[in-house]
Amino acid sequence: MTTQALLQVLASGLLMGLIYALIAVGLSLIFGLMDVVNFAHGEFLMIAMYAAFGLVLLTALDPIVLAPLVAALMFCVGGLAYLGVVRFAMRAKANAGMVQIFATFGLAILIQGAAQYLFTPDYRNIQTSWLGGKTFEVGGVFLPLPQIFGGFVSIVAFAGLYLLMTRTDFGKALEATREDQGAVALVGIDRNKVFAIGWGLGAALVGLAGVVLSIFYYIHPQVGSAFALIAYVTVALGGFGSVFGALAAGMIVGVVEAITAIVLPPALKSIGVYALYLGVVFIRPSGLFGRL
Amino acid sequence: MNRRDILLAGASAAATASVSIGSRGALAQGAKEITIGVIYPLSGANAQIGVDAKHAFETAADLINNAHDLDLPTARNAGLPGLGGAKVKLVYADHQGDPQKGRSEAERLITQDKVAAIVGAYHSAVSATVSATCERYGVPFVCADSSSPSLHRRNMKFFFRPAAHDEMFSGAMFQFLDNLKKKGKKIETVGLFFEDTIFGTDSSNVQRKLAGDLGFKVVADIKYRSNSPSLTAEIQQLKNVDADVVMPSTYTTDAILMVKTMAELGYKPKNIVAQAAGFSEKVVFDAVGDKLQGLISRASFSLDMATKRPMVKTINDMYKTRAGRDLNDNTSRQVMAMVVLADAIDRAKTVDGAKIRDALAATDIPGERTFMPWSRVKFGEDGQNICADPVLLQYVKDSFVTIFPSTVAVAEPLWPMNA
Repeated sequence: MTTQALLQVLASGLLMGLIYALIAVGLSLIFGLMDVVNFAHGEFLMIAMYAAFGLVLLTALDPIVLAPLVAALMFCVGGLAYLGVVRFAMRAKANAGMVQIFATFGLAILIQGAAQYLFTPDYRNIQTSWLGGKTFEVGGVFLPLPQIFGGFVSIVAFAGLYLLMTRTDFGKALEATREDQGAVALVGIDRNKVFAIGWGLGAALVGLAGVVLSIFYYIHPQVGSAFALIAYVTVALGGFGSVFGALAAGMIVGVVEAITAIVLPPALKSIGVYALYLGVVFIRPSGLFGRL
Repeated sequence: MNRRDILLAGASAAATASVSIGSRGALAQGAKEITIGVIYPLSGANAQIGVDAKHAFETAADLINNAHDLDLPTARNAGLPGLGGAKVKLVYADHQGDPQKGRSEAERLITQDKVAAIVGAYHSAVSATVSATCERYGVPFVCADSSSPSLHRRNMKFFFRPAAHDEMFSGAMFQFLDNLKKKGKKIETVGLFFEDTIFGTDSSNVQRKLAGDLGFKVVADIKYRSNSPSLTAEIQQLKNVDADVVMPSTYTTDAILMVKTMAELGYKPKNIVAQAAGFSEKVVFDAVGDKLQGLISRASFSLDMATKRPMVKTINDMYKTRAGRDLNDNTSRQVMAMVVLADAIDRAKTVDGAKIRDALAATDIPGERTFMPWSRVKFGEDGQNICADPVLLQYVKDSFVTIFPSTVAVAEPLWPMNA
């Protein structure tokens, strides 16, 4: 393999990794906030992709322009998922952890079924984006514009999230709620509201990832499952609840996956990621940047 | 209630549900209906295949159950005369592309719905488990569209495949390549690109062998993981070697991703000769058809055969009214598989599995009475139709034209595709 080909694989892995990170961060945020693993995270991604697709049909605008709208829509979806399902699941007296798993897992199956019923299992794709199919070449290394845009959105979203968490009152409330759910009630913070906004935020982030993906990936009721598994590994590798961990782990997963695919037969390309994940879990169960 | 109780309660609820379905199935049989099980991926990544298949089987049921002026077995009469005009009733099951689900669904269809036979199952990996279950219960399995050669090599008595398998398909591909080479085209190297289940691995095994036999050099041999989020590293390897012919064996999702990734990496293969599957699906061409001008794919069917067999158009129109798209390589085989099965049941004059099996084994339908390019439907000892001649199609200006074999070709191949 030539250096150029190796650079290509690294660049592609890194760009894909940034998108993995953007998909994973919402999951990590929700877990960090309230110790709930959202098993419907992949389905949130799928809803966002269909939302982007539908809005493009409706408005004839470019998905790039529609990204904030999709994120806002997804914010509502996330908030509703919390208020309509998770809030009740958290009230379970016994086996609360299992109930939460079943609740979000059930939500995932429901969303998948509804999507297949409403949108049919046909594969859709957005062909009208200005970025679509455009590639930019540096010294023989091809960098597709949709993926570059994805990486850019990812970095901006992480920066925004960082500012939100560290510079705003809401960020402080979020941090406080995550530290001690009981104590925040005493100082007048509505725990439910913070959780609902947290879910909304998590869904909005995966919503951005959905818009980015919809420009270069097919849209399908099952599309979430391919990415959800990677998101879980990313979150666990980076450390459950760590936002920065999700960013670092996403990039690591992208690059390791790409390199494994050229070192080993490509059918085994996930092995590298899982081996790394197992290694980290053995040596440092809290993940690379976890605080647990 | 602990977790074990919940599981037990769930299991008993599921059992009650399936018993009630079973009794409905039994009732249906009393009402002069022949129940046939149809197993396809109705949900999951390949659910669209199942949805299209459903339209194909409904078209076949229409052909069988109503009178049509077509020279196709079972078409002229309403219902099956051999069973006093009984109609076929189709019961669908969803395998989601999972061999284990396929096995348990087949078992359910046989024991609960008492089906006379089963048709399926698209994924070769699933056809393998479903046919094994059918064999155990003595129920015929008609394999409509799975093409792995290993399927009919398991000494099964109840397995029948009217269409060609990948050795026949790949044989045609390499014969075609060899012909071109003899005409002076530069074809020395091939790149294999295949998904990691039975379909992809069997297909590549045959292609690797044929390439060796005919003196083509295999410069890329890439087995990839199906439904991956990204295929960049894999396509990069194909690009590096730039084979004269890329030969993919991929399902729909990967076909779309593969072509998109090729474009992203600035890789224009000189030629692609595909093992159908994803490359026979309309959605792939809707999504990335502009990048597939000149693509060649093997097939069991071509619409332009309507010039030679007029019923192709009639049956295609019937299907199109239901599905909103033309028949393709898969759906045509599904319609024909059901017709072949109905013809055997009609001759067997019973729903007894062993007798239907014998009738299937004795099938002899001349090619003119099918709407496929086959010269005949006649099964060998192993249940494989030995006369299922494949064709090669080329995608030119939004439609497929038949380019091989010369007996049915309507156009000369464009070579190389990206000239």
